[in-house]
Formats: sequence, structure tokens, C-alpha cells
Amino acid sequence: MEKILVGLKRVVDYNVRVRVKSDGSGVDTDGVKMSINPFDEIALEEALRIRERGEAKEVIVVSIGTSEAQQQLRTGLAMGADRAILVESTTAVDPLTSAKMFLKLIEKENPDLVILGKQAIDNDNIQTGQMLAALWGRPQATFASELVFDGNRAKVTREVDIGLETIEIDLPAVITADLRLNEPRYVKLPDIMKAKKKPLEQISAADLAVATVNALVESAYEPPQQRQKGIMVSDVPELVAALKDKGLV
Amino acid sequence: MLIEKLKSIVGVEGWVDEPAVLESHLTEWRGAYRGKTPLMVVPRTTSEVSELVRACAAERTAIVPQGGNTGLCGGAIPDSSNTQILLSLARLNRIRSVSPDDYSLVAEAGCVLADVQSQAREINRLFALSLAAEGSCQIGGNISTNAGGTNVLRFGTAREQVLGLEVVLADGSIWDGIRSLRKDTAGYDLKQLFIGAEGTLGIITAASLRLFPLPRDLHTAIIAVASPGDAVALLSDLRSQLSDQIQAFELISDRALRFVMRHIAGVRAPFAENHPWYVLIEGSVPGGQKGFDTVLMNTMDRGLALNAIVAGSLREADEFWRLRHSISEAQKSEGASLKHDVSVPVGRIGDFIRSAESAVQKVLADARVVAFGHVGDGNVHFNISQPKSQSLEQFGGYAAALSDAVYSVTLAFNGSISAEHGIGKAKRELLRKVRGETELSLMRAVKQALDPANIMNPGKVL
Ligand SMILES: Cc1cc2nc3c(=O)[nH]c(=O)nc-3n(C[C@H](O)[C@H](O)[C@H](O)COP(=O)(O)OP(=O)(O)OC[C@H]3O[C@@H](n4cnc5c(N)ncnc54)[C@H](O)[C@@H]3O)c2cc1C
Repeated sequence: MEKILVGLKRVVDYNVRVRVKSDGSGVDTDGVKMSINPFDEIALEEALRIRERGEAKEVIVVSIGTSEAQQQLRTGLAMGADRAILVESTTAVDPLTSAKMFLKLIEKENPDLVILGKQAIDNDNIQTGQMLAALWGRPQATFASELVFDGNRAKVTREVDIGLETIEIDLPAVITADLRLNEPRYVKLPDIMKAKKKPLEQISAADLAVATVNALVESAYEPPQQRQKGIMVSDVPELVAALKDKGLV
Repeated sequence: MLIEKLKSIVGVEGWVDEPAVLESHLTEWRGAYRGKTPLMVVPRTTSEVSELVRACAAERTAIVPQGGNTGLCGGAIPDSSNTQILLSLARLNRIRSVSPDDYSLVAEAGCVLADVQSQAREINRLFALSLAAEGSCQIGGNISTNAGGTNVLRFGTAREQVLGLEVVLADGSIWDGIRSLRKDTAGYDLKQLFIGAEGTLGIITAASLRLFPLPRDLHTAIIAVASPGDAVALLSDLRSQLSDQIQAFELISDRALRFVMRHIAGVRAPFAENHPWYVLIEGSVPGGQKGFDTVLMNTMDRGLALNAIVAGSLREADEFWRLRHSISEAQKSEGASLKHDVSVPVGRIGDFIRSAESAVQKVLADARVVAFGHVGDGNVHFNISQPKSQSLEQFGGYAAALSDAVYSVTLAFNGSISAEHGIGKAKRELLRKVRGETELSLMRAVKQALDPANIMNPGKVL
């Protein structure tokens, strides 16, 4: 393989307790720790391992987002990616638009493989990889937990509801990474410094000339309802009475 | 008689005398102390505590207060006479109020530390006390031992987090000193007496606690260094570069890390290669991640640090902390360990560790020193693990001489024989040796004034 393209989305850190803004216009990100979407980090780790095994030559990380996403791209470069592309967009981008933007980059870069996270933990759409494969007209292997390459083919173990499924696909293709694919490496400080010298190209979303559909309209955000405290009942009749009382049976 | 009276004060759900249930309350965390009690009472309110103490005072019966029983000096364990009443604060565990603008909250003594922290986080505030036992120790226990932990460097010990206290005194009366004032010079500052008193002067039932703004832009890293001396130099340098925004600075020896890798499931080595020492640092740095990286790189360029890894996510930061917090647990699996919780002036930590190590080796050449701790505030846990070549009994034969060696070096460095764990039962003799007569008689006078009948946790501290 020549090139692997990896998507890195900037999201609110997985360990942060997310809060909805008081006016319901979105999620409060002021002073909140932002990180690489964990599944994207796994995608990148896999791409790096493929390259380190000598099965690929170049790993390119791509982020679509605000200019602050440069930070996540720099982390990706410090982990070992060769170069980075930021598609700068000041507004939120829905999965279909992201997929179209990736497609434009694919047309330009001609990668042999695109690895994305199986989902981004902010909106949990689980759509971008699938849409991209369809638009590109290439095979997809989602929820990957193991990858083996043989020339122009990839054998992918997928995590599915009933267990594991192994499929073979032709490259180029889109693969999305699941949790068990690998454990991403720690970033060493000297590598962070070296990463500063690696190329980071910035393109504005408008330059990609992707027609945005805006099929997705965000109307309001609200926190999930607090779980009610449970009560203990001593026997079935009491349970039935309690359910009746709440109008549930 | 008394037992029946105590039972009636707390009601059927408020006492325990079943040996199987009492077991965990009568053994210290490491199993070093065991005690007996005819009854454990578990009051729900301050007035119940007051009535219990009044009843015991009338009979001159001793009371041992107990929090989470994570203390390491045997302070919360009754003696073996089977006459001391154990008083658990576990059910006195409500948060009475939170005031975001006052940066304070009022918690009852039995609140678990981790719950106090999360209550503060709910209102976007930080309760700064943090230690490895935070999932089970209680705020009353923390205050009674003047606990330290990992954030002392920036936020101080438990003492600095206390704005006011409610205490049940030795005669059963209640002192309501719950205030949230930063400035209050009206008379003696009595709360200070109860902080770190290990239950020997009264029972803390509630506390008004100080909160801080949640630190923004908190970054975590593990830095490899050549020696503890270099760690101290690194700390000094970072403190001045970052105008004191370092909140944790934990030293970990290579041996301590290897113990963790060997015995704790699900951890991974920070570096592919071994280094002699590591520090775990956490700080909030203006300029975000970039600022933090640049400052660290600066120290590497000047040779203070050998290598460093930076947490890219909070999950990685948690992994780093897990390494540090697992040391005590890992040490358990390496056989017996002699623990010394000492402090010395920060600037002398490097020399101290070197001197103490060689003093220990003179006593027992195979002794495995496991040094780690909150070095940012001068605190070293200078532990000695049983040599592989020795049986537990053989090692036990050296214990006194080994501890003597560590404590004499500590005193020679103007240090303290108890940095943050207190005196309890474990260090009573030692306290008498290291404090002068003037200081000891002052301590006795305080005890006499507050607890003339000597019923509050007798046999501890003094
Ligand atoms: C894994 C581990 C790590 C630890 N790390 C640290 C650390 O980093 N820093 C540190 O300082 N300590 C540390 N400790 C020690 C311990 O957690 C602290 O001393 C803690 O503050 C004790 O709280 P507790 O609720 O468990 O108190 P207990 O152990 O129940 O009691 C401690 C003493 O306080 C008295 N007491 C308890 N509650 C009250 C009350 N309400 N009123 C009056 N007296 C009371 C008891 O009688 C006893 O003398 C650690 C312990 C463990 C097991």
C-alpha cells in the first residue's frame, strides 16, 4: 500500500461528564477537555502499525472541524502520522457532508485504505464510514477488531451482535475501527516536538466545494431525565400494586 | 446496662455486635492491628452522637471513633480489653448544604471523600483533598488525621480545607463551629485542635469545607528522571516557570513501578525502556497543551528530564494515576513491608533518600527499598519490602533496627517521623522520643483540658 487516510475528530473527552448549556443551544465546551475521538485514535494506531510492519508507506491524518482541531492533528502527528490535513469548518458538519468532504480528499490523495473510527462519541451517528464507502463505490468493513492484509485484499474480523464475523474485501476500501482493534500508544514528549515540523495543510471547507444538504436540523438539547431512585418491594402483589399506582399496568 | 442504653439511643438499625460483621471494623487495613469491642454503634445524627457520648461519659467508658478504617496507624481500632465502644460515623453522611458563591459546602463526618469531591464537581467546584483511599475513607477521618495526599503541593493538607467544625465533646455537649469564614480572629481558633487529633479530643460530626474553582486545562505527564535530586530540581524549575500551577508531583522509583507491573492487572508500562526514577506530574498551564509541552521540553533540553510521556486524554491520565495509586497494593504481593511515612525539607529529598538507603543497607544488605510519594511537599513513603532471601520471621527480626535507621536519618535531616498518617497506636513511643518535654506537656495539657476522664480514644497519640 502507498497511503492510508485516517480521520481524527475533535470531541469532548470521553471521561468528561457532559453538560447541556442552560439555554439548550448545545453542549457546554467552555473549559472542557477536548481529545481525539477514542475510536479514531484506535484507527490511527492501526494505520501506524500497518506502516511499521512495512505494509504501507504513508499515513495521513485528516480532521474536519474548527481550527482548534489542529491540536488533535498535532497529537496524531506525534503518535507517528506523516502529515495532516485540516478541513476548516466553523459550523458543525453532519455525517453526509463529512463523507462528501472525505471523498474529495480521496480523489486528491488516492489512498489505498481509509480507516475511520466506528463512531464519534459526541453524536454517536455511526454513519460517516458507511456513507463514504457508498459514495466512493468501494467495499466497507465496519466495526473491525482485527485486520490482516494479503496483497490487494484485507481480511477483517468484525464485531457483530452475535459475536465475530470475518470477511474479505478488496482494496481500496473503508474500514472502521472498533474498541478491541488495538490499544493506542502513549505519546512521547520528544515526538510531540518533532511533530511540530511535520506538514499540516489547512483547507477551508468552502474550497472543497461540497454542497451541504443540511438534512440534519438541530432544534434543542436537553439532558437525559434523571433516573428515579428505585424502591424495594417485598412481594409480587406489592409490585403489582406499585405498578398500578404509577399507571404502568 | 450501658450497652442496653447505647442500643436504645440508636435504635435497632444503629448497632452491631455480631462478630462476623464487626470483623472488618476491628482489623486495620494491613492487618497490623486487631481489637475487640462489646458493641459498635452507628448513629445517624449529631444528637445521637451526643447522647451516646454522654452515656459513655457517665460510666467512664472509652469510645473509639471510626471513619472508613483506612488509617494506617491503628488509630481507629479499639484495644483488646473488649470494653471500648466503637463509634462508626458511616451513617452520619449527609451533605448539609452547598454554596457555590461561598466556595464551600457542609458535609457530615461520615461522607466518603470521593462523594464530597463529586458533590463539589456538581457545582463546578473542586474539593482539593485527594488520596488513594478516597473511595472508602471519610471526611471525618481525613480531618482527624489531617490527611495529605496528592494535591498538598498546591492546595494544602486537610487542615487547609476546613473552614469550620461541629464536634461532640468528651462530656457529650455539642460545639457548633460550622462557619464558612475565611477571616475570623475572634478568640482561639479551636477547630485547629481537633484537626489531626485522631479522635482523642472529641468526635467530629460535620465540617464546613473550602472549595476551589475547578482547574482548567489540567495536564498530566510521566517524566523519567535520573535521581530524586533531579526530580527536586525539576520541580523547582517547573514551579517557577509555571508560577506554581503544579498541583501534583509524585515520585515513583523504578522498583515501585516494577512491582506494579508485576502484580496489578490491566496496567501498562509508560516507557518501553527502564529509567531509575519517574515523576507523575499534574498541572494547569496557561497556553493549554502546547504551553505544557513547551515547558516540559524546555526541562528535557536542559537535561533535567530523561524522557516524558504526556496524557492525550483523561483516560490516559487515569492510567498514569492508577500506576501511582497501585503501589501500596502491589507491595503487599511482594511480602511484608515496613512503612515509613516521613517528611523532610523538599530541597533535601535527594540527599535524604540516598542517606536513608545506605543506612538501611548497612542493617540489611538485601533490604528492598521502595521509595515513592508526594515529593512535591517533602513527603516520602520510605518503605522496605521483605528480601526474597528471607522468611517473614527473619525479616521481622530486623524491623526495629531498620526503622531506627530510617527515623534517625529523617531526624538528622530535620524531618518528621509522621508526615501524613498520624501517630495512632503505631508511633506513640516514637512521638515521646522525638518531641521535647515542653511540647509533650503542652499536648498533655490540651488533652487534659478537653478530655479529663480520658475516654476519647485513649491509648492513641499520647
Ligand atoms: C491505599 C491507601 C492510601 C492512602 N494514602 C494516603 C495519602 O496519600 N495521604 C494520607 O494522608 N493518608 C493516606 N492513607 C491513610 C488514610 O486513608 C487516611 O489517614 C484517611 O484520612 C483516614 O480516613 P478514615 O475515614 O479511613 O479514618 P479511620 O481510619 O477510620 O480513622 C483514622 C483516625 O481518625 C479517627 N476518626 C475517624 N473519624 C473521626 C471523627 N469523625 N471524629 C474524630 N475522630 C475520627 C479514628 O479514631 C482514627 O484515630 C492511605 C490509606 C490507604 C489504605
